[in-house]
Amino acid sequence: MMANILDGIVLGLQFGLLAAGLTLIYGLGGVLNLGYGQMAVTSAMTVAFALDADIPILPAVGLGLLAGGLFGLLLDLTLLRPVYRLRGEARVLLSLLLTLGVSFIIDGYLNWRYPLKALSLHIGGGAVEILGVLMRRGSLVASGITLVTITGLFVFFRYTSLGRAIRSVIENEDGARLIGIDPKKMLRLILVLSGVLAALVAVTRSMVAPVDTTSGLSITVFALIVTVVGGLGNVAGALIAGIILGIVNIVAADLIGSYISLILLLVAAGVTILIRPAGILGVRE
Amino acid sequence: MSQSSTRRAGTFLIGGTEAHTTRSLSALFLPILAVGAVLALVPLWLGDSRVLMGVAVLGLAFACYVIGFNVIFGSTGQLFLCVGALAGVGGFGATILADNLGLPILLSILVATLAATITGGLLSFIAVKRSLGVIFTGIVTLIFTLSFDALLLGLTQLTGGDTGRVIHAGADTFLRERIPPYYLMLALVVLFLLIHGLLRRSHIGWAFRALRDDEVAAELAGVDVARYRVYGALIGAAMLGLAGSTYVFTEGRLSPTTFGFGHVDVVVLVMLAFGGIGTLFGPIVGAITFTIVDEILIDFGQLRQVAYGILVIVLFLWMPRGLIPTVVSVWRRARGRVDVVRIVEDPARDGGNPTYPRKEKQNDVSK
Repeated sequence: MMANILDGIVLGLQFGLLAAGLTLIYGLGGVLNLGYGQMAVTSAMTVAFALDADIPILPAVGLGLLAGGLFGLLLDLTLLRPVYRLRGEARVLLSLLLTLGVSFIIDGYLNWRYPLKALSLHIGGGAVEILGVLMRRGSLVASGITLVTITGLFVFFRYTSLGRAIRSVIENEDGARLIGIDPKKMLRLILVLSGVLAALVAVTRSMVAPVDTTSGLSITVFALIVTVVGGLGNVAGALIAGIILGIVNIVAADLIGSYISLILLLVAAGVTILIRPAGILGVRE
Repeated sequence: MSQSSTRRAGTFLIGGTEAHTTRSLSALFLPILAVGAVLALVPLWLGDSRVLMGVAVLGLAFACYVIGFNVIFGSTGQLFLCVGALAGVGGFGATILADNLGLPILLSILVATLAATITGGLLSFIAVKRSLGVIFTGIVTLIFTLSFDALLLGLTQLTGGDTGRVIHAGADTFLRERIPPYYLMLALVVLFLLIHGLLRRSHIGWAFRALRDDEVAAELAGVDVARYRVYGALIGAAMLGLAGSTYVFTEGRLSPTTFGFGHVDVVVLVMLAFGGIGTLFGPIVGAITFTIVDEILIDFGQLRQVAYGILVIVLFLWMPRGLIPTVVSVWRRARGRVDVVRIVEDPARDGGNPTYPRKEKQNDVSK
């Protein structure tokens, strides 16, 4: 049981980080990015090809993060332009449809060109004992990186003026504009950041399980579910929801089998939407 | 690309040429029967090839799905991302009833359709009761789709899991011949068109238009928005269930991809967006076009998905209202009727942005 819960936390941290990238763009720009999983997969493939080209692991991962960031920047500069001209639900809907198109293009191309390519990073060394449970070193390194990133995100949003500027845009776009913050610049920054986060999730995920060209859809779906349960636009909620759903997923998979656990996860998300549409930490409007 | 594209973007998905009630019934029936008659000629052309007839039958099944989805999304603005799952409730339900429980085919189809109808109505009821917006309705129904897919893969005894199953019921009947299934599905398409056409003329159609144009105004005018949303979902889901359950018996095989999200929902969305959301014949135009496109691209395998992605992007960027409304508005403009751009102040709706150009229809100015 303890092992399951620890595994669940490892998975949950990654879920949380995954959802953080999605929820930020939504909260900031009202953009629902359904190509998010493909961002992660593209970065993972970049790392895989960099490793094939005998680039050492750290620069290779760096290239992957760069690819994720560039992906976000490119989305902001091209496809999301017409999206920003809309407001409200029309904006969410158009962004959802356009990024769905992007996800098809990337999925289709990668599956056609590199059907068997996958990234899996092996972290050397044996298992480590924690709380009486043997944990794989890969899981621990992955969790460590995720935790550091999450802490970094919190520090960034709470204590730096740039982070505060971004939060002010989430809270009130017009108010932020009045005090001289350019929401468009913040949005561009967040898209780059979400690309980097997606890349980071892909890299840490590949230390636990291989990330292949077909992983995009499931990454997007999990990110979406965690985002919804945590409350759209709420980073802290996303992290808590991620950890809860991660534990639910692993424990349920162990107790009753994997497809039921997926359904349970989905039902949990559905029920959360129905009971608390604003998410577990959300404030009802 | 400033002014004109802003204007186009402003009318995104706000349905263009909503049909104005035709006065006589024949003005409604004749075009539908004409479409049916033209489609009835297809077997004369493709009838020799079993493969191509199969493609045509699938195309008609998709036309049915698109009409059903159009009733739900186009008429009442509920983004149901569970078209495949609802049709699948019909398809898998009817298969299980007929093959595992030995019910007659017709009865199985009816019961399965009823199940799909209730499921769709229930989803809509929940969404309406919790007043979920477009996006949340989309996410809840997407969650339903994912659960349904997981269930299909999990319940291997009933569904055959990944490999799917063969349907024995109806194996030696006309359902598996080359030509008759085509006319069966065509009958469904014509039936659905008639239902949708009559619906638009009825008081329900008026309520649909009212609530889609402005929900609050409709509510104030005495339209029970919640009730009509559920009506829309019930009718659309019944169409999806009936089409799905009928189609599986003509196909004789069933696999998770038959009703998978990527294989049905996405394609249906593209077809409807191409034809024109909320229009009567848009679904037919979209279904025919993409059935042909799909057949042309068949040799490209995975690259087809790339083509679909590009099409989705191009469609929604340049023709967000779909082919039929775009063509109609170009036609009207050519005949000297003007579309006037007006700046409307509607801060509540546009999230605080006071100036937001929106296109207003003024068709009969020059008359």
